[in-house]
Amino acid sequence: MIYAVAVFAPLLGSVIAGFLGRVIGDRASQIVTVSLMVLAAICGDVSFASVAWGNAHTGVVPVFDWISVGDLHIAWALRFDTLSVVMVAMVTTISTLIHLYSVGYMSHDSSIPRFFSYLSFFTFAMLMLVTANNLAQLFFGWEGVGVASYLLIGFWYQKPSACAAAIKAFVVNRVGDLFFAVGIALMFFLFKSIEFDNVFGNIQAHMNATYHIFGQDFRSYEVIGTLLFLGAMGKSAQIFLHTWLPDAMEGPTPVSALIHAATMVTAGVFLMSRMSPLMEFAPHALQLVTFIGATTALFAATIGCVQNDIKRIIAYSTCSQLGYMFLAAGVGAYQASMFHLITHAFFKALLFLGAGSVIHAMSDEQDIRKMGGLFKKIPFTGTVMWIGSLALAGIPFFAGYYSKDAILEAAYAAHTGLGTYGFVCGVVAAFLTAFYSWRLLILTFHGTPRADKHTMDHVHESPFVMTFPLGVLATGAVLVGLLFHTMFIGDARDAFWGAAIFNGPTNHIMATLEDRSMIIGLLPTLVGVAGIFLAYVMYVLVPGMPRALATTFRPIYLFLLNKWYFDELYNAIFVKPAFAIGRFLWKTGDATIVDGVPNGLASLTSYGSSRLVKLQTGSLATYAFTMLIGLVALISIFLWVR
Amino acid sequence: MIANYLATGAFYVFAAVLLASAAMVVTSRNPVYAVLFLVLAFFNAAGLFLLAGAEFLAMLLVIVYVGAVAVLFLFVVMMLDVDFAVLRSGFQRYAPVGVLVGVVLLAELGLVFGTWTTSGLAQSLRASPMPDSVTNTEALGRILYTDYVLLFQAAGLVLLVAMIGAIVLTMREKKSSRHQIIAKQIARNPADTLVLVNAGLGEGINILGIRRPLPPPGKVVHGDHGHGHDDHDAHAPEPHVHGDH
Amino acid sequence: MVGQLMNWQIALPEIVLAGCGLLVLMVGVLIKKQNSAQLCSMLVLASFLVAALLSLSAPQDVGYNGLFTLDRFAVFVKILVLIAASLAVVLSLDYNTHHGIARFEFPVLILLSTVGMMVMVSATNMMSLYLGVELSSLAIYVLAAFARNDVRSSEAGLKYFVLGALASGLLLYGMSLVYGFAGSLDFASLRAVFTTETAQLGAVVGVVFIVAGLAFKISAAPFHMWTPDVYEGAPVPVTGFMATAPKVAALAVFVRILSMPFGHLLPQWQQLIVLLSIVSMVWGSLAAIGQWNIKRLMAYSSIGHMGYALVGVATGTEAGVRGVLVYLASYIFASAGVFACIIAMRKKGHAVERIADLKGLGKTDPMLAFLLMFFMFSLAGVPPFAGFIGKLYVFLAAVQAGMWTLAIIGVLTSVISTFYYLWVLKQVYFDQSEGAFDGRAPSVSFVAGLGGLVTLSFFVFASPVVNAAEAAARALFG
Repeated sequence: MIYAVAVFAPLLGSVIAGFLGRVIGDRASQIVTVSLMVLAAICGDVSFASVAWGNAHTGVVPVFDWISVGDLHIAWALRFDTLSVVMVAMVTTISTLIHLYSVGYMSHDSSIPRFFSYLSFFTFAMLMLVTANNLAQLFFGWEGVGVASYLLIGFWYQKPSACAAAIKAFVVNRVGDLFFAVGIALMFFLFKSIEFDNVFGNIQAHMNATYHIFGQDFRSYEVIGTLLFLGAMGKSAQIFLHTWLPDAMEGPTPVSALIHAATMVTAGVFLMSRMSPLMEFAPHALQLVTFIGATTALFAATIGCVQNDIKRIIAYSTCSQLGYMFLAAGVGAYQASMFHLITHAFFKALLFLGAGSVIHAMSDEQDIRKMGGLFKKIPFTGTVMWIGSLALAGIPFFAGYYSKDAILEAAYAAHTGLGTYGFVCGVVAAFLTAFYSWRLLILTFHGTPRADKHTMDHVHESPFVMTFPLGVLATGAVLVGLLFHTMFIGDARDAFWGAAIFNGPTNHIMATLEDRSMIIGLLPTLVGVAGIFLAYVMYVLVPGMPRALATTFRPIYLFLLNKWYFDELYNAIFVKPAFAIGRFLWKTGDATIVDGVPNGLASLTSYGSSRLVKLQTGSLATYAFTMLIGLVALISIFLWVR
Repeated sequence: MIANYLATGAFYVFAAVLLASAAMVVTSRNPVYAVLFLVLAFFNAAGLFLLAGAEFLAMLLVIVYVGAVAVLFLFVVMMLDVDFAVLRSGFQRYAPVGVLVGVVLLAELGLVFGTWTTSGLAQSLRASPMPDSVTNTEALGRILYTDYVLLFQAAGLVLLVAMIGAIVLTMREKKSSRHQIIAKQIARNPADTLVLVNAGLGEGINILGIRRPLPPPGKVVHGDHGHGHDDHDAHAPEPHVHGDH
Repeated sequence: MVGQLMNWQIALPEIVLAGCGLLVLMVGVLIKKQNSAQLCSMLVLASFLVAALLSLSAPQDVGYNGLFTLDRFAVFVKILVLIAASLAVVLSLDYNTHHGIARFEFPVLILLSTVGMMVMVSATNMMSLYLGVELSSLAIYVLAAFARNDVRSSEAGLKYFVLGALASGLLLYGMSLVYGFAGSLDFASLRAVFTTETAQLGAVVGVVFIVAGLAFKISAAPFHMWTPDVYEGAPVPVTGFMATAPKVAALAVFVRILSMPFGHLLPQWQQLIVLLSIVSMVWGSLAAIGQWNIKRLMAYSSIGHMGYALVGVATGTEAGVRGVLVYLASYIFASAGVFACIIAMRKKGHAVERIADLKGLGKTDPMLAFLLMFFMFSLAGVPPFAGFIGKLYVFLAAVQAGMWTLAIIGVLTSVISTFYYLWVLKQVYFDQSEGAFDGRAPSVSFVAGLGGLVTLSFFVFASPVVNAAEAAARALFG
């Protein structure tokens, strides 16, 4: 079946490039992985078309039986419903374009097969995640994505910052995974199964189950929903667990594009939609989702306004846009959330690859203060970046307009305190988004060149293999919203989504989207335009203004520039104590107590025999004492507990 | 009746001496004394076995532990000249912890033995200590090679491992053992090892510096046989036979 | 028990293996050739194969007057022990030659130690248990000091020996306390005693002593102090052996002794095992941070892993035992694989063991780096590698038994431990090389490759292993 081909073709490509890369060479590895990705994309898109227009009936594609012991039955199968198909089509399409782009971008790298192998593996892990038919499979994909991102972020291992970023990404993700794993375990004990169909089929049966924690009763669905969301927060870089995402820029630009647009960060949003039958009955958890999403949207946008690294700005914009998606999911508009995910995938991939093209042209310069005036030299890249920014800012009839509008309207239509909070945050964030997007555009492409002459002379448009994906993505960024909005969030949505997304019996938010006053509908557009205008004023009309503002409001500026000091905070709270405990146990537990005697192993060689006498009184006695103390402690505890 | 009292009295004597000598093993400063106290402890333990009717084990203890193991200990202690002062150097440092742990453990074990009872099934489960018709030795022999043959063989393997271990860790075939290598001896060249010194009359002894100091007056000296090894200087010019391979 | 038939065939694997050991010893002594070590290693490997086949085919019953039992549990563990021992012998081929300790006694000692472990696993009487423990330990003491010209090796052997003697003392003392109460050393009789009567204080304190003595053998904290020093000092194949086979056997003894004779004392010993488990997991994961020697790192890693395995023991349920067995099966391959990688760490003929020496391995030896990544991910419990499956079953059992705290601490510490496994991988992949390693010997590549293959494909073929483990666990509880 073509659906299975779409999922497993990337794996095949990854295996071939990874294991045979040295044998078949760089060129052949590229050809194999890219052509397999193209195949996957075709299969993925055909599957999507068959669901969207062909009314192919959804179901499950079995692969093989896997683990079947005791209560735990896990079969490996691919889930084939609208949600999965949409994701598969998006992931394969975007990933194919990124593969293609990488052929040009990574042409000077020394380990091309490795890169393409990782890239394909990353895609496969994400596909496995979205096509999972049970939570175990989903978790495997989830962890696979984590491992692949670790390898890719740290791909340029010569850079110490890349290694640090890779470890940070992995560890922060593991924190989220921990909650997710506990959530899965709880679901298993509640439903006695982790197959989606069994879980969703028995939602009503356990509606009033509770857990007794800390002396209070909590509804099971609330606990599970919160845990799942905490897991999603890690993957999707929401506030508190967002710190890894901007650092993940240390990987090659195509990797950033893949992480930010198609794979990895969207996993959390996908999880919320996938679990919508459960989340709908966890209203408090959803409130948390709304709050965190709205806060992240605003928080990341404020930081984006003062960053100077072109990729970092776009990274914070991803963080912010993910906040929008969670906001939508939180108020129950999963359809809008998924729609924004898809449109965002196009324009964010476009922006990243465009930024990559700029960096490529500027001989690896990433600081936008050192750019400027590039539009004339690289008009194509400039144009597509404009298109991407227009879509990002939600200017009418570009892709982002439809989805962002729908989210803000949903937040408004929720008519709850948190919904309104989300709406306000979203509108302010939309303003800031437009502002920093145009700040980026103006500083990069317009005005006078600030780079040295040598660099400017060297500026050139990227080769066709890189501009072609940009063109495709730009087309997508213009048209995706226009083409699909009826299907995703419009009148055809019920027929389109079918049973894949569940809205609770009292949740009519999607139907009431259009019932709002004119001004609410126009507000996102208006603030977008206002943001663009402000950027124009600050960076074209009155160029001295940013510096004056930064000096006047220095504390605020520094606060934003340092990303709200989250990294420093975590470093002080978690990282240092962990190291300190480790060092303590090692130094006192091992170095001091255990090696009480040694005067350095090196000097011992010559004093070997005397050492043997010495160690009997020194460390050995301590060892023995430790054992005896342990024994006494065990007996005492036993006598005491008894 | 009297025999009963005698047995009880003997038990307490043996037990008291056993405990006292065991304590002395640990605390005595002279290692030779420690080993001798160990021997005493073994003897008293053998006495206790005798009182319990296990004459075979008592003899075994005396023959094996006193006759072989303890004597071996004594040899080792005397040969290696272990400096117990050094061995004990950490004693002060660890004494407080050791005492604390010991006292707590003792208290806990006291609690345990204070409330000691045996299971009701224990009597029936316990193997009869003394079969009536046969001697101790014969009774052991009967089960050792039948019921417990597995244990017997396993114990044999343990001893085998100990033997292999001793050989592996200590036997040095090459460097340190003193074989006579005839080829080397024949190939020896006098020019390599002999120095001819032209000494004047009556000066040779002074030049070589090998004159022994005169014995202090007033003491009787029995010549110098038997003391040849003390005379290191006499061998000095001759290189070690095996030093070069 | 008395009156049962001798039924001597049930010990056939041990008898044949011991006989083979004596034969190999004779071969080694009589063939005075330089390569007698290699020949003897091959013969020992063949003996292991024969023993494994015999273990699978020997009749399963109780025999030797209740001293010895062959059941599915014993068979499962024996196969694991034999696999681990075989891997250690293969690892020693290259290492011993290179380090000038290629002597035929080495494989023989490993063989005899393995016989001891097999006796331990099958023991259903305190006496046979003790003799098995001593046989296996004594051989390992000698093996640890095998590189006798290396001070560190001698020191390792001596330390292990002295502390091991102390642990044996604790074990014996505990056994005598239990005997004093129950009047028997036979597991079945003990079970009968503890079923009918409430355990008296002294007997249970005896159990505590036994637990302490066995905890030393699996290096569970706080009885772990010897581990880092001995792991560091002993020759690498011996360390690899110590990290796998004896751990498997001792844990099996733990499981058997706690579930068979002392099964009814569950409320009494459960807290102790929980405590040992938590301390081991925490200590193993925290103290490893900051280690620069990869052997010491593996020592702390093994302490932590024993903590995870004890989680399964602590549940006292059939599912818990199943989890322990699956865990051990997944653990030995990853562990042996890491030690194969350590043996491969050799620059210009000199063995190196700093973690920093692994720098840039991803460039200089991508295959080995790739395998090392498998092992590290497996030890960290990252899906889909074998270690994840093992942890899954253990934690699942803990949760089923309602021991949430234990499961949560387990998951938390495994997250912490991820850090240092990643630290190793960071050096491997992201740091600049400081010179490539010398070429790998085929034997080392074999162990690493086999370990990698099993570690990677375990999740696909988990079912048969899990089913076998379940059957083994049922043999204890059924």
